[in-house]
Amino acid sequence: MNWKAVHRWLGLSLGTVALVLGLSGALLALDPVQEAWQAPTAPADLPVATLVQQVQQAMPGVEEIRRLPSGAVAAFGFDGDQAQARYVDATSGQLLGNYQPSSMPRWVKNLHRALLLGDGGRWGAAATALAMVLLSISGLVLLVRRMGGWRHVAGRVRGTLAQRLHVLAGRVVLALLLSSITALTMSASTLGLLELEAGPEPDVVSSASTGADLAPAQLPLLRDLGVGDLHRVNLPDAGDPTDTWQVATTRGQGWIDRHSGDTLAWQEATLAQRLDDWARVLHTGESAWPWAVVMGLAGLCVLLFWASGVLIWWQGRRNAVHIADNSRLQQAEVLIFVASEGGSTWGFAQALHAALVRAGRRVHSSALEHFQITPTAQQVFILAATHGDGQPPAHACHALERIAAQGGSGVPVTVLGFGDRQYPAFCAYAQAVEQALRAQGHASLLPLELIHQQSAQQFARWGEALAQALGQPLAIDYRPRLPATTALTLVERRDYPGQADRPTAILRFAWPRQPWFARLLGCGLGRFEAGDLVGIVPPGNAVARYYSLASGSADGFLEICVRQWPGGVCSAHLLGLKPGDSTQAFIRANPGFTLSGRPPSVLLIGAGTGVAPLAGFIRRNDERTPMHLYFGARDPATDYYFGSEIARWQAEQRVASVNTIFSRVPGGGYVQEILQRDAERLRKLLAAGAAVRVCGSRPMAQGVGEVLDALLAPLGLDVNALKAKGRYAEDLF
Amino acid sequence: MSKPLITAIAAACALAVPALGQAREVTIATQLKNYGGDGAYLAVYLTDAKGAYAGTLWVAGGKAKYYKHLADWSRLSAGDAKRLNGVTGASVGAGRTLRVTADLADALIDAGYEIRIDAAVEDMRDSPSEVRLPLTAAGAGKAQAGKQYIQSASFQLK
Repeated sequence: MNWKAVHRWLGLSLGTVALVLGLSGALLALDPVQEAWQAPTAPADLPVATLVQQVQQAMPGVEEIRRLPSGAVAAFGFDGDQAQARYVDATSGQLLGNYQPSSMPRWVKNLHRALLLGDGGRWGAAATALAMVLLSISGLVLLVRRMGGWRHVAGRVRGTLAQRLHVLAGRVVLALLLSSITALTMSASTLGLLELEAGPEPDVVSSASTGADLAPAQLPLLRDLGVGDLHRVNLPDAGDPTDTWQVATTRGQGWIDRHSGDTLAWQEATLAQRLDDWARVLHTGESAWPWAVVMGLAGLCVLLFWASGVLIWWQGRRNAVHIADNSRLQQAEVLIFVASEGGSTWGFAQALHAALVRAGRRVHSSALEHFQITPTAQQVFILAATHGDGQPPAHACHALERIAAQGGSGVPVTVLGFGDRQYPAFCAYAQAVEQALRAQGHASLLPLELIHQQSAQQFARWGEALAQALGQPLAIDYRPRLPATTALTLVERRDYPGQADRPTAILRFAWPRQPWFARLLGCGLGRFEAGDLVGIVPPGNAVARYYSLASGSADGFLEICVRQWPGGVCSAHLLGLKPGDSTQAFIRANPGFTLSGRPPSVLLIGAGTGVAPLAGFIRRNDERTPMHLYFGARDPATDYYFGSEIARWQAEQRVASVNTIFSRVPGGGYVQEILQRDAERLRKLLAAGAAVRVCGSRPMAQGVGEVLDALLAPLGLDVNALKAKGRYAEDLF
Repeated sequence: MSKPLITAIAAACALAVPALGQAREVTIATQLKNYGGDGAYLAVYLTDAKGAYAGTLWVAGGKAKYYKHLADWSRLSAGDAKRLNGVTGASVGAGRTLRVTADLADALIDAGYEIRIDAAVEDMRDSPSEVRLPLTAAGAGKAQAGKQYIQSASFQLK
């Protein structure tokens, strides 16, 4: 089921009506709150007979006494010719202020339940409530999916401001779900789908007698009934000797003879009535004002949902890839199917599509879940990204079954995989697709190619191979779609000049804080954390290079550690900056790597400039989570980056232990060796649930992984198991 | 009063009273107060000299399930299976006027009969027999105020 589409289109259509219902509902929620401090709650065990007697003394002509859902008591009668409705202090029988059913103008309620459209509007409101149920459920599914499982639902939310607001507001989804379901129950009873009447009212009269009325205390039904169970009691009419007492309780309705005190008739409350009572209490919060506040806030959240949802949709549309000259499926000679989670793979599809069109082919591109081989097709390409731990992108989750169901054909189907070598399941989904196709007996024009980190160069090479295989020149013009960049100004640099061949510096840029509306629209640099990446686009260059951030936006600046890469354009550009100079940059979230949740302790393992994000974690460790740093470099005199800060942070207990090793000093070595040396302690920490973050070069990470695997073996664990749980993450270069 | 009156005009109705010779046209005008609630349910009916039910002239309000809130009418007319025949209409909004026209047998006038009006409004108090107008030639044109929802009620004889 495509939850995202359900959520989006329901939200944009009926969600707009839900906005009206949410806001009017929030206004109506003020009533129970206001009522709660108008009158005291009546003691639940006070006999109704006593209450009636007291009220009769204070209001001689009283006709009806109600226990309001809030627990307060109101009495209705006449003062001369003037209708009277007063709150009553149940314990003393004293009359309090005037009672009014609602402080809101009537139209608010009519807007809320019927959109001011009468009975037709009630159906509309009910349909909106049903839409809210579906929106809540689809939202919940998407929330869990986005946060990476139930366990992480309370974790830190990332993304643009609109996305974060949407997800944050999403945590009230259960209140909204409850509100919508109870609304549906109430609609069902108002619209007559749920029969609430216990039956026709009994035709009963008081026995003929000239004697005086019995006092309330002489009526067994009223004597034994506590105020807590009372809905309403109607006193018999003074002018009509046959009139009866009528009492409505949580359990049912009774009629009492005014002369004999007998209960003339009793109607038990039906299940439907009890259900409706409960729905009403839960929906309106009328019997507990704090709950009314909760429901009111949930109603207000609809505004937040709606506004942020519309923004997300609009931003998504703005960023969507547009395929020009997309031929119809049935006429196309070349079919391109795409599986993409974030949309970047579509950029490659677009380039391939355009090149084939320029070569005179009729091409059709669509999402992988539409996979099929048409009679006109001569070539089929599948561009597949891998999501998470080898899963397909969400939209293509059933594509493999579809491929298997299609059967073989003579048309070659060529697969191009996209992924990131950092992940253990690199391009696993593309490989699964490839296997499924070959199992079906499909031929292939080119062997499976796996593209690392959206490498344009690798894609261009594949394009050349493709042109050769097709026997036709192809001009594939792929331009990576870079996010909008923002100018960053360098405010400070700390140089580590000791390594003449490879100068290194820690660069600190000012964080250009955006006004909230700009952030809401997704302009400028969003918020970020240590461990996220900053993409730098060097002048005259279309490809961004990514650096791990050693600071978060909470620090108010962006800090990176840059080392001259042999022949590196971007590092040369950055190291050439002087304070006051600026560069173009954007933020890319690195959600698996930044610290989330509350691990009991954290092992930070890094080498060289890889210490940067680890230093960032320590800098923001305001909770003083025990963090243990294992850091390897060459020489404390030349490349102990952040050395003085780390010493200060240790004094502030932001880092519990600092373990360093240097390879170019006598008796030195690599970071794996200090891990080995500390094996006992590390095993204990890991057994207790420590999280691990590794940053540095790929060979170092491999060495670290081997040491930790050996060390974890007695616990029945290994690095891959920790990775699967999100406890172990690497940021490698 | 200068409020926008959209008058609900009820069609003439035949009353379940045996036609005794000459009939007279009676027009009952019921103007509601601005009580600040949804449209009122009203029952306009006739009782005889003993206070027994004699017939229904008009019931304003579309949903039968709420008729029990027009308590006196509902109780008194329970035995009349045809009480709603051709005499129902929409509820009457606050501040508006309901005009009901009926042909009544001459013999009913000055014979102890009463025109009664029950009123009920959602979420507010029921008001059975809110107005009782004695059906006398002398009482024609004399307005009476109700206890809760009715600003004034009166009838005209033609």
